[in-house]
Order: sequence, then C-alpha cells, then structure tokens
Amino acid sequence: MAKLTIDGKEIEVPDGTSLFDACREARGEPLPHFCYHPDLSIAGVCRLCQVEVEGMPKLTIACNTGVRDGMVVSTRNERVTQAAQQILEMHLINHPVDCPICDQAGECGLQNQYMKYGLYDSEVEIADKVNKAKAQVIGPHVILDKERCVLCSRCVRFCDEVTGTSEMGIFNRGNRAEIGTAPGVELDNNYSLNTVDICPVGALTSRDFRFQKRVWMLKAANSICPGCATGCNVRLDHEAGRLYRIKPRYNPDVNGRWMCDRGRMLYKAVHDENRLLDPARGGQTLRWAELDTDLLAGDGGLFVTSAHQSLEEMFLLKKLAAGGTVCGGLAGSDTGDSDELLLNADHTPNRQGLGLLDLPEMNGAALAEAISGTTGPVVVHGGNPAGEDVVAAALRGHGRTVYIGSHDNETAQACNLVLPGAVWAEKAGIFANRDGRLQAFSQSVARAGSSREDWRILAELAGGEVPGSLRAVREELAEALDLTEVNLNKLPARGLAPVGATSGGED
Amino acid sequence: MSNSQYNILSSRFDRTDGHKLPVYEADGGYKALKMVLSSMQPAEVRDTVKESGLRGRGGAGFPTGVKWGFVPPDADEVYFFVNADESEPGTFKDRYLLDYDPHGTIEGTIISCFAVGDRLAFIYIRGEFGWLIDRVQAAVDEAYAAGYLGKNILGSGYDLEMIVHKGAGAYICGEETGLINSVEGRKGQPRIKPPFPAVAGFLNKPTIVNNVESVASVPWIINNGPEAYKKFGTEKSCGTKLFSVSGPVKKPGVYEIPLGLPFREFFHDWLGGMVDGEELKAVIVGGSSVPVLPAAEVMNVNLDYESLANAGTMLGSGGMIIIPESCDMVELIQVLMHFYYDESCGQCTPCREGTGWLHKLVKKLRGGEGTAGDLDLLEHVCQGMAGLTICPLSDAAVMPMRSFIDKFRPEFEALIQETAPVAGSSRWPRGEQE
Repeated sequence: MAKLTIDGKEIEVPDGTSLFDACREARGEPLPHFCYHPDLSIAGVCRLCQVEVEGMPKLTIACNTGVRDGMVVSTRNERVTQAAQQILEMHLINHPVDCPICDQAGECGLQNQYMKYGLYDSEVEIADKVNKAKAQVIGPHVILDKERCVLCSRCVRFCDEVTGTSEMGIFNRGNRAEIGTAPGVELDNNYSLNTVDICPVGALTSRDFRFQKRVWMLKAANSICPGCATGCNVRLDHEAGRLYRIKPRYNPDVNGRWMCDRGRMLYKAVHDENRLLDPARGGQTLRWAELDTDLLAGDGGLFVTSAHQSLEEMFLLKKLAAGGTVCGGLAGSDTGDSDELLLNADHTPNRQGLGLLDLPEMNGAALAEAISGTTGPVVVHGGNPAGEDVVAAALRGHGRTVYIGSHDNETAQACNLVLPGAVWAEKAGIFANRDGRLQAFSQSVARAGSSREDWRILAELAGGEVPGSLRAVREELAEALDLTEVNLNKLPARGLAPVGATSGGED
Repeated sequence: MSNSQYNILSSRFDRTDGHKLPVYEADGGYKALKMVLSSMQPAEVRDTVKESGLRGRGGAGFPTGVKWGFVPPDADEVYFFVNADESEPGTFKDRYLLDYDPHGTIEGTIISCFAVGDRLAFIYIRGEFGWLIDRVQAAVDEAYAAGYLGKNILGSGYDLEMIVHKGAGAYICGEETGLINSVEGRKGQPRIKPPFPAVAGFLNKPTIVNNVESVASVPWIINNGPEAYKKFGTEKSCGTKLFSVSGPVKKPGVYEIPLGLPFREFFHDWLGGMVDGEELKAVIVGGSSVPVLPAAEVMNVNLDYESLANAGTMLGSGGMIIIPESCDMVELIQVLMHFYYDESCGQCTPCREGTGWLHKLVKKLRGGEGTAGDLDLLEHVCQGMAGLTICPLSDAAVMPMRSFIDKFRPEFEALIQETAPVAGSSRWPRGEQE
C-alpha cells in the first residue's frame, strides 16, 4: 500500500495504482481527461490530467504516473487549474463548436469540461479555424466528423487493442492530423459502435442514432441484452414509449464496458411492424375478455417454452403443465455467428435457464410427434418452433393450440389462438447467461397494443393456481431452484454468480 | 574544409579520400577498437567515457556515460542507435562527420555498443541526406569486409551487426523515442516516458540512442584517455564541440572549438567577424530551438553549457545562426514558426494546436493585420505550450518565440502600429510566405 496526500487529503491505495485513479478517489471525481480510458493503454496525449507533484519541477500527467509512498499531489491549485484551462483552450481552438447540430451535445466531454475547467472567452475567430472533413461515413454503423475530433486516439487504441482489427489510424501531423481509416478500409467490425461510446466528443457518432433524439430528453433503464447467451449488461435509452438506443453498462464479470453492434440494434424489434398487438383466434382479433375461461381444460397437454423466455415465465409454464408434458423448445434453434470477445453462438438469452428448471429441448421431429401425440391442449410460449416444417404441420393438425408470443411468425400462423406477450424491454425478469449467472432486467417502455406481461397471461391461463405477483413468483422460483438464501427480487448489481464461479466482488 | 585548430573530431575533414578505410587505418583508425576488444571490459569502457565528462552532443547535453549506465545490468538484449537525423535548423555538423570521416563514427559506435552489450546497431540517417546514406553504407560494407563488424570481431568473440537506416524526413524522428518508433515501422512520434528507452525502447528492450558527434568522440577518448579529453573545455563542459556557423560572417562553416571559448573570440578571431557592410544584430547559438541572444548579450557569453544557460539560452546542437542588422526579426520568427507548425507530430494537444496558432498569429502580424492584444496573446499561447507535452518540440517552438518578442519587441510593435518594419529589407514581401 502507498500513502499519499492529494489536495491535503491523505489516502492509501494499493501499490501500482495509477495516480489518475488515486486522484479520482481523493477528489471524488476524475481529473479532466480525454485520452485516458481504464480499458485501453495509456496514450498520454490530451495532456489534461496534469497535476503538481511535490519535488517535480514540471507538472506531470497523472495517467502515466504511478503512486509512490509519501507523494504530495495538488490537483486544484492555481498552476494546475490554469494549465487545464489552457490545454482545454488548445483542444477547442480548431473545434467547430457546432453543438446545436451535434448529436454528442449533452453528453460531450468538451462541453462538460469547458463548463468545469474552461469558462474563458475565445481568442479565435471562426474563420481562422482549420477545416477538415465532416460527416464522413466510415463504416456500416459509424460516421466521422474530423473537425470535432480531439485526437485522443481512444478509437484507434480500441480497434488495435480490443478488437485487434486496427481499422482506425491518425493520419498526417501537426494540426492537420486527423482520425480516419486507411483507403479502402471500413470501420466494420462487430464492436464498431463502442468507438462511438468512448469518443469523448462528437467526432464519431452512430449512424443509427444520429439526429433521432436529443440525449438530454432520454431516460434510461437497466437491462440485459437478450441477443445471446453472454447477457451483456445494458442501458436502454428511451423516451415517450420508444427505445432509441442500447448502450453497454459496466459489469466487469460479464461484458466489461463493451457490447456488440448486433445487440445494440435489437431495440428495433421492439417497435417492429409485425408485433402481435391483440389476441386473435383463426386470424380474427379478439378482446382479452372474450377469451374462453377453460382454454386448458382436459388432461395432459403439451407445454413448450423457449430459451428466449425469462426464468419466471419458464417456471410458471412448468407449473401450468402439471400433469402434461413440458418441453424447453426446439433444440439448436437460434444459433449463429460468434466471436472471441462477447458474441456467443447461442443467440438466446436464457438457454441455461432451461437447464436450471429441467426443461429439455426437443428436435423438430420429436416435438412434432409430441404435438400429434397429445389429446390435451398445446401451449407454445415464445420462440418459433414452427420454423421447422414438421412442427408447423403438427401444430396445424392439432385442434387446440395456443401461441403466446410477441411477433408474428410461422408459429403464430400455425396456432389457433394467439396471445400477444411482451418483449424483454416491456417487462421485468431474470435470465441465466452462458455461465449460469442470474441477471435481472427491468421494464423500460410501455407494452405495445394490448399485449400483456407473459407471466400474467400464464397466471390467468392457470386460473388462480399461481401466485398473484411477480414478486411472489420469484419467491416460489427461488425455492424451486433451491436458492433459499437468495432474494431473487433483489439480485446483486453484477448478477448472481453460479455456485463455485468467481465474481469480482464489490464495485 | 576544416577551420579548426582542435582535432578530436575534425582532424580528418580535409583528408583526401578520408572516408575510405585504408586511409582511415593509415591515420590510426580502428586502433581504439583493437585496444578495447583486446584489453578492456565493457564496464571499463563505460567508466572511461563517464570519466571523460562527454555530454550528449545532440542538444540536451546529457552525460553519455551516465546514459549508458541506465541499461539494466541483467539485460539480455540491448539495442544501440546512432542518431544522424540531423535536422535542427542551422545545424550541419553530423553530416560533416559522416561525409568526411564515416569510419570515425562507425568505430565509435562499435566501441559504444561493446560498452553497453549491444549486438545490433542502427545508424539512423535523415532521409534527405541521400548521398550520405550511400557513403555511410559503403563505409559499413568496408568495415564488415575488414572484420570490424559481423561475427567474432577481430577474433575477440564479440559480434555486432550494423544497419544503416534511412529516415523519411521528419524532424521529430530526431527525438530518440520518435526515432525508435520510426525504425519499428510505427508513426514517427515520441513515446511517453517512463519507461525511458534505456529500460524499454526498441522492441521494448533496453535501447541507447546517441548523437553522431557523441559516438565520434569516443575513439579519441579511448586512445588518449579521459584526462586528456578533460584538458579541453571547462570543468563541467568537457572536451571539444562542433559548431556549424551560418550567416553573413566572413568564414562560416563547421568549427571544432574547446568548450568555454568566449563567443567574442570565436566571432572575431575564428569567424573573421561580419562580412563588409553588415552589422551583428543577434545570434542563435545552438540551433533554432534555443532562445536568441542580441549582439550586446552574446558578446559576453562563453560557448559552454553553463555560461549559455546563465545567459538564458542553450548550447543545443551547436547550430549557430548569425543574424545581421538587415534581417527582419519578425520575418525570421515566421520562418521558424512555420517550421515547428509543419514538424509537430500532432500527438499532444498543446503542441499540435499551439504551433499552428503561433504560426497563424505571426503570419497575421506580418500581413499587417496585427491588433493591440496580439503580443499578449502570443505569450498566452506560449504559456499553454511550455513544459506540458511528451517531448520538447513544443518548448522548442516556445523558446525562440518568447525570446524574439522579449529581445526585439519594437519590431513586433511596429507591425501592430501599421508602420514599416524598423529593421532592414525582407526577402519576401510581407505576408507572402508560409
């Protein structure tokens, strides 16, 4: 441990801590900075985090300085604040200050740091600024404005060090230096939008989010990405019932600070045209009140869930099936691309949940046989097993089929009764990711049309045999999973690691 | 060619075919190397050079032997670079050494490499020095053929390979870590320190980068001993130094002087004073990056590290620029500010933006568009650049800028008042050059 004094405050930090982190701890806020990023190598080029260390004649950048026992550091004296102000001024002299038309406005490092450390009058005429290319499309997801760039090199280091794809570089020198991609190269990797997240200014913006919404109007809800078994922790940015973008949320045990571009685009499905909005029988729209009360009357039956559903929903379906056959859905469905970083080949969020609740998946032929073999009702919850023709044929051949789902698909087409459920952003629940880590997601936007939370639909079908609140469902679920010590209604921030797995501890 | 009365470095500048190996050997060349390899340990060589007081001749003046001592003793691989990226405006000494006495530098390099335990050395030559690259390569080839390079040099068991590397014409690659990046195939820009190259440089291995003149001094020091070297110069500025003198003096050129020589004596007795019709106005003593001294001040300094530091300037690279009364100081600083604006690598914000801003402001002044606050603004910009960057290029722009305003303020003020320049004629019409 090293003991040091920062702004008169004594703190103790482990040896090897960077002075930048020690200052953050002592100050309660980070030093001004653009190029420093905890997950990237040190560039030391923005020069903003200069501090005064006793015994050193020059100011020194905190990001590239290790702590030493007995160090005495000033971060707020006149010399340091003046240097920060002047360096910030240097960052801004050739910046176009086009905030009114810039998507970054409201979450911009230049704006925020100017309000905190700048507040000087500009000495530069607009006409004197160095002009560079604006609105240059550099890849499928990212657009570049070279004038706004502060050349912190975070995007370059991200592509070099995290994805290893090295699409980005800094070209030319002096104040003609600019970020870009080499001729013929596009910023086209599955993590390209992370460069937009780490860009401290409006140089790299998302082509998808561009000009859609002013960021200060957005509200955020914590969620889990449903795109694959990794279960990246995300933040859903929404306003007035619409999702606008998905951003990664820090969880060192799962996704760190990153998420893939594919996952970011999943919000589009929430507002898709083919959402199921109303109950329907044989293509005829119904009201919920018009549904028969004895839909599931009769013995046995087949109850098919899917790896897309939450643990609570799987649990309820299994409960509902008492006496009938349960199935975890179509084996091997929704698998696809993967990479070594985050994207898992299993493109469902909760296949591990099927295992926890002992809900075996079936292949198409077996499932078709099970459907044809039952005289009781067939309830399909989520997924799209009728994507396989044999299953579709079996469903069509059966008299009493119910599909609870969010989107119109082959299964919805093949079933007699279709009940509109909610998508993940419209409800709360728990997924078990590829490692079996239990992670909770919460509702961010109102449900589309007259769709309902799935657990309520299931509870209603069960006719009073299930608990009357999600809270109570979770309590029963915990018992069923033998997790009596755990409160599923209040999972840890980083999720509940499966027994025996290592977790990073408190953060 | 040589104008020198001292002969540690420049004795062979006049020698016919002095760049050829047989001539070098006939002049006693490679004697020091033979002695080192046959009778000295690396530590002894390091101590000898440390004892001699030799300081880095590239500009910073850091003691060479001390720098060698920073290599960790247990290093398995060490790299050695000879910095021949000579591009400081006003400096043209290393090219003399390499042109007229390439084997002197090669011998010095081999001895230096032996001293630090290096097995692969690079001579990094500025890309614009096309003919020089050929000449040095030819000399290296000769040295290989004669067994001074390669495996088992002179039967000693010591191996050393040497590569002549051509730069691509960037001033910043003369900064040692920029040079290392450049050889590694990266963008030529300095690295953040720590780590220092002596600990982690080329390929993250301990690396020593020395100026041509520094290594070229080594054979003489070995042959004659550190005490003989220390007889030249002053207590803290030992030995001799090359000065490359340009400007309207009667005898410009490259001179080897004992450090501590009074400028007055150098100017009158060695350089012959100004050409007829010109008066001395100012001198940039050590390359364009050091503060300028007006005539009255420069006449009182001695040419050594300490005396020049006391006078508020630096010995630098020894690139001495003599400025006559007829020179427009604002024009001169515009040329210099264009240089630093053009050569800034663009990595650190204060330098990237500041060098461009300084150049823009000076250009505006010379264009007759200066306003009352501009001199204060220039100082403000300098303040935002000085001492805040990874490498000293930012300071190298600030030092001349500040000193020019400080020492020749009336010339700048005259432009703001929209009157004719107080100094003599300008080579370029106002505002027309870059």
